[in-house]
Amino acid sequence: MLLFQSEAWIDKWCKRNNLERGEVLTLDQVWKLSKLWYHNRMSIDYHGRNMEQVAEIFRQAGLVSGFWYS
Amino acid sequence: MQSEPLLWQVRHFVYQNFADTTHPPSVGETAKHFEITNEEATELYKELHHRHAFFLDLETLNIRMANPFSGIPTDFKVTANGKTYFANCAWDMLGIPAALHTDAEIEAVCTESNEKVKIEIQNGNLRFTNYVIPKQSGVDDLRIHFPLPFSRWYDDLVFT
Repeated sequence: MLLFQSEAWIDKWCKRNNLERGEVLTLDQVWKLSKLWYHNRMSIDYHGRNMEQVAEIFRQAGLVSGFWYS
Repeated sequence: MQSEPLLWQVRHFVYQNFADTTHPPSVGETAKHFEITNEEATELYKELHHRHAFFLDLETLNIRMANPFSGIPTDFKVTANGKTYFANCAWDMLGIPAALHTDAEIEAVCTESNEKVKIEIQNGNLRFTNYVIPKQSGVDDLRIHFPLPFSRWYDDLVFT
């Protein structure tokens, strides 16, 4: 996942690399997702997640488009 | 194959070593810590790699990624708790303070435009961002691009 100065720079990068555009989030959205995703990463009890648990985190982060669940 | 509890103890040791030293432990360091052979530590590393607990370079046996931590320098530098870490990507640069539950100062490079940006996490909040050299465009325009859905992240983790 890469950082861009604006959405216009994403379009330039996708075009130059002949890549399809994925999903685009603001820093605030990714910070919210990061706290949900990584808050327990240092725990000895963290053994990974299944698809349902991943989907629940996306829902809690407010990511509703089909991209996140495909 | 070693026991499941040992497998997850090794995963925890790798992460704690990253947090403490900013680097992943080598196979030899892990073997010494757990008083096992290098061959046994290698098998544990490979098993954790296959379970996506971290990403191992299978030729060198160096840990390349234990998300959010990177084992190599990147464009995403995170200073937290007096240490400087590298994150794997723009998401992981925020993932490090989230994982460590700490404030952080982040320096990152924007793809394509190559502008450098500073981001601060303070008291659990994204507080302040600015370009190293101030730009006319606002930092509110900054975006993170997710090229692939989760189901394809592990097809090519370096690209993702």
